[in-house]
Amino acid sequence: MSERVLTADVGIVGAGPAGMAAANVCALAGLSVVVLDEGHRAGGQIFRQLPPGASGTAIAEPPSHHHGHELLTTFSHSQVALRSGATVWDAKPGRLWFEQDGASWLLRCERIVLAPGAYDRCIPFPGWTLPGVLTAGALQVMVRGFGVVPGKRALVAGSGPLLLPTVTALLSAGVEVVGAVEASSRWRALRALPGVLGNGARLREAFWYARQLLRAGVKLQWGWTIVRCEGDGRVQRATIARVDGEGRPRPGSERTLEVDVVGAGFGLVPSIELGLHLGCTSRWNAARGGHCLVVDREQRTSVAGVWAAGEACGIGGAEVAAAEGKVAGHAVVASARGGHVPLLALAKAARERRSSDAMLGAFAPLPGLHELARPDTIVCRCEDVTLAVAQQAAALHGPSARAIKVGCRAGMGPCQARICGPSLQALASRDGARAMDVPVVQVPLKAVRASTILEAPAG
Amino acid sequence: MAETADLVVVGGGIVGCAVVQHCARLLPAETRIVLLDRGPIAGATSASCMGHLMVTPDDAQEYTFSATSLRLWRELAERQGGFDYNPTGALYLADGDGDVELFEVLRRQFADHGDRADVLDQKQLRELEPGLAHDLPGALFYPGDGVVLPMLACGAMLREAKRHNRNVVVRPFSAVHGVRTAGGRVAGVDTAAGPIDAPIVVNCSGVWAPEIARLAGLPGLPIHPRAGNLAITGHHVTPIRTQLLEIAYIRFAHGAAKVDPTRTDDAGGHAVNMQPQTNGGCLVGSTRQFRGMDRTLNRELLHRSLARARRYAPGLGEAPIVRTWVGLRPYSIDQHPLIGPWPSLPGFWIAAGHEGLGISLAPVTGLLLAQQIAGVPTELDATPYRPGRFS
Amino acid sequence: MSNDARVPGTGDRPVVEFTFAGRTVSAFAGDTIAMALWAAGERALRASSAAGAPRGVLCNMGICYECLVVVEGKTVRACTTIVEPGMNVQRGGKP
Repeated sequence: MSERVLTADVGIVGAGPAGMAAANVCALAGLSVVVLDEGHRAGGQIFRQLPPGASGTAIAEPPSHHHGHELLTTFSHSQVALRSGATVWDAKPGRLWFEQDGASWLLRCERIVLAPGAYDRCIPFPGWTLPGVLTAGALQVMVRGFGVVPGKRALVAGSGPLLLPTVTALLSAGVEVVGAVEASSRWRALRALPGVLGNGARLREAFWYARQLLRAGVKLQWGWTIVRCEGDGRVQRATIARVDGEGRPRPGSERTLEVDVVGAGFGLVPSIELGLHLGCTSRWNAARGGHCLVVDREQRTSVAGVWAAGEACGIGGAEVAAAEGKVAGHAVVASARGGHVPLLALAKAARERRSSDAMLGAFAPLPGLHELARPDTIVCRCEDVTLAVAQQAAALHGPSARAIKVGCRAGMGPCQARICGPSLQALASRDGARAMDVPVVQVPLKAVRASTILEAPAG
Repeated sequence: MAETADLVVVGGGIVGCAVVQHCARLLPAETRIVLLDRGPIAGATSASCMGHLMVTPDDAQEYTFSATSLRLWRELAERQGGFDYNPTGALYLADGDGDVELFEVLRRQFADHGDRADVLDQKQLRELEPGLAHDLPGALFYPGDGVVLPMLACGAMLREAKRHNRNVVVRPFSAVHGVRTAGGRVAGVDTAAGPIDAPIVVNCSGVWAPEIARLAGLPGLPIHPRAGNLAITGHHVTPIRTQLLEIAYIRFAHGAAKVDPTRTDDAGGHAVNMQPQTNGGCLVGSTRQFRGMDRTLNRELLHRSLARARRYAPGLGEAPIVRTWVGLRPYSIDQHPLIGPWPSLPGFWIAAGHEGLGISLAPVTGLLLAQQIAGVPTELDATPYRPGRFS
Repeated sequence: MSNDARVPGTGDRPVVEFTFAGRTVSAFAGDTIAMALWAAGERALRASSAAGAPRGVLCNMGICYECLVVVEGKTVRACTTIVEPGMNVQRGGKP
């Protein structure tokens, strides 16, 4: 068996805006770059491309995607070696092990840039396990990544800036959006204004979404949440209700809608598992989505030879990701070739971060939403653990996510608590007001074949 | 005013939970029992081991000890359940003909105690476990072994304890940082939340037992962490239905090989142990290595286990591995657990040092300790396990 | 393959046929198993681990492992696995 070993000056994990921006800078400077990405085409979740051959002209895109196309064009014309469908499952500084098409590979690279992005934060509610109830991000991928029509009648629910692109993706796929509910109140949302007003691109973006919704006659309902879904083997009805300032449904305000698809997204969680595994320091930042990798102004993590950019450093959106990716790229080049990170790039990244931070404050997760689950609602989908069982585990084994895990195996399944983690944390802290634990990260970072582990090239 | 208890158990792993369970049953119902753990209940070794229930037939004493414990496990499953008790039996496997003679050695050991294990030929083995490699020379099947999920079993033991005795208090995240003595005997413990006055303190702290003993002014107990590397697959992919062990296991695992736990160059050993889980997963262990409290994964040893597992069950190669980790076994220097009073400090009791058999032996350990504390005749001769042998 | 399951302009790709739980399904080259099955009206891809309840696509980006299916005896994520002609896909999870 031939050793599957690649060597590059720079290994970048993630081909979204942060990873592409970093790769473009590094490649331009003449460094050899390998990008490992779990998707099948470059772009990440935000700039998902349709499969080769499909044009998808009918799918509406907000103005910011223009920048994404530029990044993609540069990226695809660069000397960067993109490895798509690559799952990184083990790492140490200078080494990234990945599985691709069932084969076990090693990338040797003195410098690593982490740009793994983020994933949807899930909050359990009755019926959320019914087929047809997806994350908001999943629906965007469905439409913009594959041109698949999600259904006939959709409800989009949750909280945060990603609900709008989900609604517009559905609209451009011809889906009737029968409800679009945002748990934050309109007044709370006003807090986002400084972040939007101070940033021309964000303002244009906001107007574009407003126009799209207006044209389709869809009204975003502020201060509402989904409370349950029902159906026979798949979702058929969704019930929404008004919430108070804490996110708790107001009795008597319920309204039931006939739907065949639901997208529920309660913000994003930074993907920091690989960074933690490499030993990078993380810090809790609730507004930015939870535990975030700590970086300096040049995107250096606490581990030598490892940089991070974009959502892994805290949720900020594509503009932040691209700007930070560019800084990381320059910092990597400086470390290899000498020189400095251009001040303009640093200033741009700092500015984008400030304005996204200002905006995210309006959508910090409301504690009451974590009380939507009923005793028989599944909280850990991998292990089929209900809220009642998780609560019993917390009562006996202790008030922490890890105690709940050992007490009822919630979070031990294949997703490794990426889905249930936030709700287990909420359950634990509600019962005992403990600080949230840093997630425990174990090899493999994502499930891979036993043979992939056994056939891993030594390094 | 200090909190008071009649009995403080330090360490909420499987042994501490079994001690609480049997004390709650055997001591008067008004006895106030406090279980303390520095972390979650069942959060340390009991959350990172294999839930192997194993009868060890090496000699009459070991056989009776382990078989009694397995009977207690079965009874707990019948009364309580809820911890994935699965009496799969155990298949001892050999790779090639080299170890085949060990089948007969082990079979005779079981037979000597009036128990029964069967040597299977290739055809019988394939009928029992179609997912195993077809070139295996046969196996030894012992029907008495089983599997539990230890973390859930801890919960079942504590639920039963609370049913017997409403004064059982379970307190996770309560580290003990002092053991108080007065007049030459135990007077209680210090915790972050304050002192607890108690005439009896039971040290069930596994690999941390020496640390707790030192807090009581005792010399370090001869218990050393022995690391194991484990891996678990996703659900509904297990190629096996029975618990599998390499028969070479009996050469070095429990008391078979004399090793020096303080050496720092221990290359480690391994014999594969595979366990089917009730969710259709497969747990793969297990390696043994002395390297202090280090819990970083030893990839080389893990690979050796996985490679052996795949050699026996080729389908495992395609199974997704979702997690790997390291657990620390509390290895006692003479390879027997310490169960009973510490002679020089009245009131200080120990139940620790079971190495890889803590899950198997927890019920009988809890029973023996509770019977000694209660001052009733013990089920079995407790002499071989007396901690005083090291004092 | 019903046309109303596709956004106009996204289906100008070669057709790929595979089977799911014994049923023949048409997809486009480049589809993941999850998206091909969604377009074909299939929502339940897996039986949950303990209760055996139907589960389908949740995250659609390889995070949640809710869409596990079995392809030629191997358990894979339907949302990250591209369909291939003649592929034999079975529901995942509890048998």
